[in-house]
Amino acid sequence: MSDIAPEMWAPVKRDAAQAEFIAAPSLTYWQDVRQRLWKNRPAMLGLGFIIVLIVAAIVGPMLSSHTYYEQNLKFANIPPVFQTYEVDGKRFFFNSGNFNLYEVSPEGKVEGLLRATKKDLIKKQQQFKFGDQLVVMDTAQQTLTLDGTPLQPTGWQWNQSNWFGTDQLGRDVLVRQLYGARISLTVAFVATLVNFFIGVFYGGISGYLGGRADMVMMRIVEIIATIPLTLYVILMMVVLNSGFFSVILAIGTVYWVDMARIVRGQILTLKEQDYVAAARTMGASTGRILTRHLLPNTIGPILVTLTMLIPSAIFIESFMSFIGLGVTPPQASWGTLTSEAVETLRAYPYQLFFPAAAISLTMFAFNFLGDGLRDALDPRLRK
Amino acid sequence: MTLLSVKNLKTSFFTSRGEVQAVRGVSFDVRPGEILGIVGESGSGKSITCMSVLRLLKSSGRVVGGEALFEGRDLLKLDDDDLRQLRGNEIAMIFQDPMTSLNPTLTVGEQVMETILRHRKVTRAEARQRVIELFELVRIPNAAQRLRAYPHQFSGGMRQRVMIAMALSCDPKLLIADEPTTALDVTIQRQILALLKELQSRLGMAVILITHDLGVIAEVTDRVLVMYGGMAMEQGPVREVFARPSHPYTRGLLSSIPDLRDGEHHLLTPIPGSPPDMLRPPPGCPFAPRCPHTMAQCVAAVPPLFEIGSAHEARCWLHHPDAPKVLGEMEAAQ
Amino acid sequence: MAGYVVQRLGLMLVTLLAIVTLTFFLMHAVPGGPFTSEKMLQPEIQAALNAKYHLDDPLWLQYLNYIKGVVTLDLGPSFKYAGMSVNQIIMEGLPVTAKVGFFALICVVALGVPLGVVAALNRNRWPDTLVMVIATIGVAVPSYVIATIALYVFALRLGWVPTFGLDDWRGYFLPVFALSGFWISFIARLARSSLLETLDQDYMTTAKAKGLKPGQVLFKHGLRNSLIPVVTVLGPVVANLLTGSFVIEQIFALPGIGRHFVLSITNRDYTAIMGITIFYAAVLMVMIFIVDMLYLVLDPRIKYGARGK
Repeated sequence: MSDIAPEMWAPVKRDAAQAEFIAAPSLTYWQDVRQRLWKNRPAMLGLGFIIVLIVAAIVGPMLSSHTYYEQNLKFANIPPVFQTYEVDGKRFFFNSGNFNLYEVSPEGKVEGLLRATKKDLIKKQQQFKFGDQLVVMDTAQQTLTLDGTPLQPTGWQWNQSNWFGTDQLGRDVLVRQLYGARISLTVAFVATLVNFFIGVFYGGISGYLGGRADMVMMRIVEIIATIPLTLYVILMMVVLNSGFFSVILAIGTVYWVDMARIVRGQILTLKEQDYVAAARTMGASTGRILTRHLLPNTIGPILVTLTMLIPSAIFIESFMSFIGLGVTPPQASWGTLTSEAVETLRAYPYQLFFPAAAISLTMFAFNFLGDGLRDALDPRLRK
Repeated sequence: MTLLSVKNLKTSFFTSRGEVQAVRGVSFDVRPGEILGIVGESGSGKSITCMSVLRLLKSSGRVVGGEALFEGRDLLKLDDDDLRQLRGNEIAMIFQDPMTSLNPTLTVGEQVMETILRHRKVTRAEARQRVIELFELVRIPNAAQRLRAYPHQFSGGMRQRVMIAMALSCDPKLLIADEPTTALDVTIQRQILALLKELQSRLGMAVILITHDLGVIAEVTDRVLVMYGGMAMEQGPVREVFARPSHPYTRGLLSSIPDLRDGEHHLLTPIPGSPPDMLRPPPGCPFAPRCPHTMAQCVAAVPPLFEIGSAHEARCWLHHPDAPKVLGEMEAAQ
Repeated sequence: MAGYVVQRLGLMLVTLLAIVTLTFFLMHAVPGGPFTSEKMLQPEIQAALNAKYHLDDPLWLQYLNYIKGVVTLDLGPSFKYAGMSVNQIIMEGLPVTAKVGFFALICVVALGVPLGVVAALNRNRWPDTLVMVIATIGVAVPSYVIATIALYVFALRLGWVPTFGLDDWRGYFLPVFALSGFWISFIARLARSSLLETLDQDYMTTAKAKGLKPGQVLFKHGLRNSLIPVVTVLGPVVANLLTGSFVIEQIFALPGIGRHFVLSITNRDYTAIMGITIFYAAVLMVMIFIVDMLYLVLDPRIKYGARGK
């Protein structure tokens, strides 16, 4: 112990500022939120997907040569990817769903149907002549033979005429998907907007007024909310008749209750907070209290609720369309696309893939974003 | 023979930011029937120390060193089952906030009874009877009816009495009370403290009383341990430490208490600064940044415990034989 | 406590009344609806309607008449099928819907809760991640998408279950699975977050400090409290199982109430639409009331009227 050098006993000038150092560098609330959200990968992926989707929905159909309603029955039910065969310089592929052969250009564009030279229903065969060669298609076993030996495919190719293939009426699936995106997203956003205005307004007033008025307003909300939304929307749809605007109207009129509840709950809690009392003591007016104290602190839950309600709206719209109550054909919504795909499920199962993937991915995206927002806005998680 | 002997206890929390060293080597003894007070600011590690002894840390916390010998057995290395035999039975603990520490969906009677039924082979009727006795012991009126009430139907002070009853139900040899009065009104505080003191002398159990209130220490405890930055700064018999505070931190604490006795105006002298960052603790004495007598040595190395008097130690370089004699002056100022 | 019961009961009745009123006036507003004698109907139907609803009476009388009908559980004649009453339509479909819904409910509770508990107890380890991934998929992908994919994979491709109908007991699998999928995931997530929050509570530490065995700590203190939010949500869950059955019955061609409901919508069978709606609403109210009573049993703070913190 006595091996401590004498100069170690010299007093050290204490830096008062150093003593007051508080561990974490302080960020403003919103900087902190943004930072945390940025780090949340699923949420960021979700946000990215949504942005891409919106852009594609707006711009996509304009770039494509197809429209969503143009039918071309010759080219119905063509898959997006096919296996090609080459016989006598002619390239074609075999559509096992309808036993047709289609000629394909070298780039992958679908040119036209190939006519069979002979169709034998008893032996379940069709014969195609390519120059001197004969290709036989066995419809029962779904095989192709060239002069007796099985015909070997030359490879896979993307369908360059219709990237996502065509549906049962020959319409381009990709464009219809994008149109579906337009409709689903529009419904979602409009419903959300209505939600926002009515819900925030109603909930805010109810929460701020408190007392009797609040009780009455909330009772009304409770009654409306107890009934499942789907039931309402169905009733509305019956009365209003299907169609794009009817769907929006139906969803919009009853969708605001959740938001109203949440906003009201927030305002009620915030009202009791000490800083509101402090502001009042300092002479702040009601308006000022509302705008500077109550509302900014409500934005968090509002934002989260909005993001979580959008997938619900999309779901309801597609659900309605699926059972035939929503958007009417030939308009395309993801719901109608799914129901059309279900009809041809046996023969063309892949047609289900696109609308299913579209909806699922979109729902995922919004869910992740919503979860991420919720986590980012929760001050308790601040480390 | 000591009841509980804690030697060089070290506890850390492993968070995504890194290892937070909450307790960095604390040692103390508790003898049967003695009341030890542990005093310190928030973040000093006083609660964590006791939670570590009973292995009640939350998931990210772990004891990383030291031992805690209860009647010779190291609690830190005990089998889980054996530890559970001791908890609630020979060593009991009560917590700061009785509202959140009691299960809101079970009756208070049930919560006390389950402790008894866990550790004693008695029938439910006998356990019930015992609970009534305990409630009477802690002065809860209408014991027999109050058994069937729920925590939210009691006032804060009453709830704490329930906690005490629950802790005493199996005649523990050691009671750890973590800031039992902090969440209560001042008048209730006195009642609860008086109750604790009375029960302690009646039942002869040892008590560790954790608090940040020096007044409580002065009134109730036999010995005191002053903690700061996860370490013991000073410990000794209460009267001794109060009369001859031998650590700048202890002195700072004592002089920051308002003194109304002589009717004159005195400036409050708080200790400047804030507690250290336990994620990156300073290499030297944890109190160095805030101490009025910091020396180069203080910043360089953590001081060991120096003996001041009988069973009185202080962790401060000023007690090194070569150090300048600064404390004498301070004593006069006191 | 009695006050609580009365309050909930009152709320239920008022809501039901509101629905009946809403349905009545909505149907009245629709051109060609049952209460407007505009449309040319089959004479038997017209006669039945007149007999039942006295279409020449003033509006408020028709309304009261309607209410009377509902209270006596007579929902009137079908608008489209001569000779059939709405009650009959409902009774026909009820067994199927009830069975599927019942099994779905059991699945939701028996699978959802344990999954959530397992996830919470193994926080951030592989069981937790696995459950959360499955649950996220279940919550995001719409039920009818899952239903159709499941139909394709298990029925068409693998042939493990029949594609439609309930003649074979195996026919129950897909509909129940598709119906309950979303809700299992929902409950699992809820149970998980609820349990995690409970485990963090101070009284859990107290329970451990008393030396209670881990089983006691988990079940008596942990689960009991964390299941309260789960029970609360069961009412709406049942409601949604009911409405979800529309689509499921459609896809799997099950002759349940949902299917009839969708049919009556497409057929514009107004009285049936009204009747079935009211039926659904009534079932829903009863379920919610039961859940409210359950909640009473579980959380003594309600029983003894705790004033909030």
